[in-house]
Amino acid sequence: MNCILEGSAVKAFGKAIHALSRIGDELWLDPMLALRSVNSAHSAYAFFLFSPLFFQLYSLGSVSEQDPESIHCKLLIKSLLSLFRCLASIERNVERCQISISTSNDRVVIQFFCRHGITKTYNLCFQESEALQAVFASHLCPNVIKAPARLLGDMVMHFPVSQEEITLSMSPLRVGLRNYYEGGNDLMKNMYTEMSLHPDEFDYFQIGVESEITFCLKELRGLLSFAESLSLPVSVHFGAAGKPVCFSVEDLVLEAAVVLATLVDSESRGPSQPTKTLAPTTPRCVAAALPAASCEADSRKPQDLPAAMELIASSQGSPIIYPLAAADDATTPASSAICSLLFRALSSEQEDDACAVLAFYSDEEEDYTNSPII
Amino acid sequence: MPLSTQSQADDEQYVLVASLDNARNLSNLLKAITFKDHAIFSATPNGLKVTVEESKCLQANAFIQAEIFQEFTIREDSVGFQVNLTVLLDCLSIFGGSTVPGVSTALRMCYRGYGYPLTLFLEEGGVVTVCKINTQEPEEPVDFEFCSTNVTNKVILQSESLKEAFSELDMTSEVLQITMSPSQPYFRLSTFGNSGNAHYDYPKDSDMMELFRCDKTQTNRYKMSLLKPSTKALALSCKVSVRTDSRGFLSLQYLVRNDDGQICFVEYFCCPDEEVEEE
Repeated sequence: MNCILEGSAVKAFGKAIHALSRIGDELWLDPMLALRSVNSAHSAYAFFLFSPLFFQLYSLGSVSEQDPESIHCKLLIKSLLSLFRCLASIERNVERCQISISTSNDRVVIQFFCRHGITKTYNLCFQESEALQAVFASHLCPNVIKAPARLLGDMVMHFPVSQEEITLSMSPLRVGLRNYYEGGNDLMKNMYTEMSLHPDEFDYFQIGVESEITFCLKELRGLLSFAESLSLPVSVHFGAAGKPVCFSVEDLVLEAAVVLATLVDSESRGPSQPTKTLAPTTPRCVAAALPAASCEADSRKPQDLPAAMELIASSQGSPIIYPLAAADDATTPASSAICSLLFRALSSEQEDDACAVLAFYSDEEEDYTNSPII
Repeated sequence: MPLSTQSQADDEQYVLVASLDNARNLSNLLKAITFKDHAIFSATPNGLKVTVEESKCLQANAFIQAEIFQEFTIREDSVGFQVNLTVLLDCLSIFGGSTVPGVSTALRMCYRGYGYPLTLFLEEGGVVTVCKINTQEPEEPVDFEFCSTNVTNKVILQSESLKEAFSELDMTSEVLQITMSPSQPYFRLSTFGNSGNAHYDYPKDSDMMELFRCDKTQTNRYKMSLLKPSTKALALSCKVSVRTDSRGFLSLQYLVRNDDGQICFVEYFCCPDEEVEEE
């Protein structure tokens, strides 16, 4: 695979790397150019898809002997990020950027052709990996709002950088945003910020179910910054508490999304049906476990997958869903953490099992208990 | 404002007297070579040379010609001593190092000879401070035997382009490899770090390249830890010359313009880590 980026596309690509660095430590790079990442707790997943139109030149080159869809390069985000760290200097100096994958020596080669004839070449090691795929059926979400990135940026601006989680609430009359502290509302200790917007402020407003969802803000900031730099509108798809929320942007040449787990409120146990449920106005959430840091101790690892797991292969970029039922206890005691992301497969032959994990990837064959259903 | 609190008679006891209206013209240059505590000062009628060495593999020299000083009097052919460079720099900035325009610290540096301390008279805004720094027996600086006749490859680059490269260098790489060649890639800096390797290529016709004279393809590696201090000199400089000799020894010469626009030089010599056969 070989592609060339020019001018402002290099900066946009760099911004995508920055956004992905907020999610996880590793990045999956696929030809047709897709960049994906997931956090260690599997409660946040992001992807950036660049169509061939984004590039000055795009070719799959000498990969013809190998099915291009089967190459999945896993890289350390840290190494990529150091190449794109200073976007201002990239904008100033880089005229062209060439990215190619060399399977013969397991290297991703990134070349920057800069001013004054200077060339910078980076050969980054990658690991071959299974696909990281987890997509979200946004069209099944009852609630949708769409707004310019600027509006969302202005909304989250009011929260301090250290704010871990925020709660987005939606009713037919208002959209609200407030910060969330685990451990309840201790009015004496924390500063609370809350704002509401009228549905008219949004480019698109659809409410299917009144809900309040709490999710990690830090992981979202990268995408908002990306969207703002390209002046793209952001769509938010979500449902009841406990179901994932998806923030996405798209334009003619690219598509990106961040899918985040939301806190389950204590009223529901296990998977909820995709029917309308009214969340109580002040959900008493189970002790928060959403941020990756606190999920570390969680045994939310793919090896706990039970036999009833299906993988539905996708064509590049189109949503697929696969319910991954983790072997976690569905009936969690109040004190234990839940990162609960519930998916529904397009084909409804899954089992109504315990909480599912958002994204799945594996390097080992034996983790797949069933072959993919195509 | 020249400092003249000493009478003529006193001056005769000093073997070296050097005065600067702006002490920063000395201190900025010394900061570019401060990677060890001790420095060897060597003065001749041509000027002052300050040398700092690291384990006999790296040597940095700062040259301030006699013309840069407002007063430079030396009563012997050569005067040498060793002082703690960190202490000297602290003294030179004893007035706080403010950058208010028009206000500068004036310096009068005096040395009476072997066994005597180095005396600094510093003045700013009418306030005078006298510092006496103990001197030591000067060590003999290593002679890297780097002479122009042995130079195989030489390039002169504008510092701006190298500054960015050095600031981005992969520090997980133990070595910095420098390739100089009459053919592609002409001038290349390479690192071999944890996540992969990186190459910075400067073509010979780049407008950043002021001089390109490479006769033979040479690739040499130098320990990153040894070269790291040179980035301070690079930051101050406007031009840098990179030369290697037949043994692979590296000479980096930095052209520094001081506050008054006068030219001073800083030079780094470095031993190669190992010989790499050009493939």
